[in-house]
Amino acid sequence: MISCKQATQLICKKEENRLSFIEKVKLRIHLSVCRFCCLFESQTNFIEKNACHLQEHLGHLCLSDSCKEKIISKLKGAE
Amino acid sequence: MSNLSSFDPQLWVQKYADVLYVYTVARVTDTGVAEDIVQDTFLSAWKNRESYKGEASEKNWLFSICKNKIIDYYRKNARSVVRTAKEDIPENDFNEAEHWTKEAGPKEWNVDYTGTIETKEFYSVLQSCKNKLQKMQQAVFSMKYLDNLETEEICKVLNITPSNYWVLIHRAKLQLRGCLEKNWINI
Repeated sequence: MISCKQATQLICKKEENRLSFIEKVKLRIHLSVCRFCCLFESQTNFIEKNACHLQEHLGHLCLSDSCKEKIISKLKGAE
Repeated sequence: MSNLSSFDPQLWVQKYADVLYVYTVARVTDTGVAEDIVQDTFLSAWKNRESYKGEASEKNWLFSICKNKIIDYYRKNARSVVRTAKEDIPENDFNEAEHWTKEAGPKEWNVDYTGTIETKEFYSVLQSCKNKLQKMQQAVFSMKYLDNLETEEICKVLNITPSNYWVLIHRAKLQLRGCLEKNWINI
């Protein structure tokens, strides 16, 4: 049987449909007996699905005023 | 040719600095690097303002410059990737037989794995966990999951092999998952 390290590698490839037939079988057998790797698959899928919203949740961040001033003075200096 | 009076440094920075900054910090994570990239974006736009034809909106034009600056930053980090990818750094996640150790093995999270999450806390932990990743892991993760690029495209842009890519994404996921479990779920 494949190891958990190998199984987690295959899980990463599975997400992009890059598994060969043999790899699919090996992974399925491993997942049928390994709770840890099943959780790894669910949790990484969860992270990936939500990661695309990261930017909107950082919307409260601003560039500091001092940094803005610096940019403005550099732009004016470059005129 | 667009009206040159619209090229007012003060107005530009007021209008676009924050949106460019948020876009950048989501992709490079390090706030100091993000500040530099935003500054460089404005400077190059300013130098090239004569060539701006007004075909794209001013905002899109600035964003396209910013995207290129981010890719330049990724590429600079990519030069060291082949070496680090080959080293295959040993991790604490797995034991000698390459199975999860009891401590590092994933624990049940109290969430609906098929659902989406809206809490600000999740994203601030995700951002800080992303910040702990190696720069190239951050780059592939951002290109893949924030920009939805295909693997081939990512390899081409960063000039890495598919096997480099798979090592990077595998490590990124192991580390992010572990970091989230430690800092978000169990709080």
